[in-house]
Amino acid sequence: MLRKLLHLLVLVFLPSYSYSESIVPYYGYTGNAITDQSLMWSMPSVIPGVGGLDIQNVIYSYRIQKETGDFTTVYVQNEFASGTGYIFRERDDWLPGSLSGTQINKAVPVGNLPSELWGNGSIVVEGPGSVYDANVVYTYKVTPCYNPQFDPNCPGYVVPVPDIYEIDLDSLYNVMNDENVELDRNTILDENEEVLDENEKKKVVEEEEAKRKYRLEKAMSVSDTTALFVEGMRIQNMNEMMNIAVMSQGYYTAQLAGGSYNETVVLADSKLPDGKSGLRNGFAQQLLHQQMVDSQYNLNEGE
Amino acid sequence: MLKVNKLSAVFLILVAGTTPALAQSETQINGVVQSRCIIQTDSSGTFGNPNAYTLTTSPQDGGEGAVIRVDVSLADAYYVNITAPSSFSSSPSLPDTVTWVGDTTVKTVSDATGMGTYESTKVELGMADRYDLTATGSTWFETVSTAVMGGSKAFPGGNYTALVIAECIAQ
Repeated sequence: MLRKLLHLLVLVFLPSYSYSESIVPYYGYTGNAITDQSLMWSMPSVIPGVGGLDIQNVIYSYRIQKETGDFTTVYVQNEFASGTGYIFRERDDWLPGSLSGTQINKAVPVGNLPSELWGNGSIVVEGPGSVYDANVVYTYKVTPCYNPQFDPNCPGYVVPVPDIYEIDLDSLYNVMNDENVELDRNTILDENEEVLDENEKKKVVEEEEAKRKYRLEKAMSVSDTTALFVEGMRIQNMNEMMNIAVMSQGYYTAQLAGGSYNETVVLADSKLPDGKSGLRNGFAQQLLHQQMVDSQYNLNEGE
Repeated sequence: MLKVNKLSAVFLILVAGTTPALAQSETQINGVVQSRCIIQTDSSGTFGNPNAYTLTTSPQDGGEGAVIRVDVSLADAYYVNITAPSSFSSSPSLPDTVTWVGDTTVKTVSDATGMGTYESTKVELGMADRYDLTATGSTWFETVSTAVMGGSKAFPGGNYTALVIAECIAQ
């Protein structure tokens, strides 16, 4: 019952059911059904594709092309879509004496014939001659409430109730009654218990470890503080000692012994001769230089 | 532009008493006849002016013929007389006489079998064409007209109007 009410509520609030449109019949007319020289046309391409459309009039015109003495018959017609024959057929006999180029303009009431009955249309000429400047127009009336379900305001409208299937709930699969699922569920629960215990133990161990690390860090932080303090004292003492040494041994307090300091080196020879080894070495260097200079001229001569 | 013949009849019956002079009266019997032939102007014509001395409804010269629609609801009861103009109903003062040419033809019919031969069976009487309306329905007649000023004199500038007369005549 609840499901039915839910369905009804859904239907009530669906956009298509809250849509409102005029249900007043309206009238219209088509364009020229003839679009080419074939003088044939398909009705679905001419009339609007709406329900409840009735054709009321066929209005056509054309000009006859014939010799004055000819007898020509022209049919403007529509096939009967639901059977054989024609639902509309208008005959024009152009007797001998009628002149070529004469136009016919005709409006033929057909009552209200549903568009579904109208098949393909055509203009057929029997006898010598032809037609040109043809124009075929249909006037129609559309009754929106042709289908009462078109609009809730239409007479005879019935609130649609969707078909709701009766479902045997016992035949439906119930996961809670599935033994396999129950077994799996128990297994999962057991596994979960084991996992919880392990997690508890891990948690205790981790807490102990964290506490131990905390104590160690505390102890180390105390020793580090002591060491830093001692080092600071040592540096301070050293600086003080260095300052004392500088302060106590200033250069301006040194004493130099007075008196004269005589030359102690004595040259025995009065003349210092040139060294022969140096002379030879000088000649050798000169000769080598001369050879190098001359070699460039020798090369030129060889060329 | 059109002249519609309205038919009406008044019948007066005089009742003469059997006794002389002493007892006598007159009683009217009135009646109205509604014509079964209706004439309407479908489109007014236009004169083109291809040269100084010519006015014409020929489309090639920028003119347009006048179209008259005749609706008949009773067959073999009427003639229609359509007369092309032979003078201007209004115009400036003209320097010379004007020569007129006009013709009426069946332009459109609503019944090929009954009206298709109207054109070939019409009777022409000068500028007037007479059609025997043998079928019910609508017939459209087109009248063309040409006016040429005598002596090749120019038409004076101004507005020119000519009338086509259509009459339904009961047989």
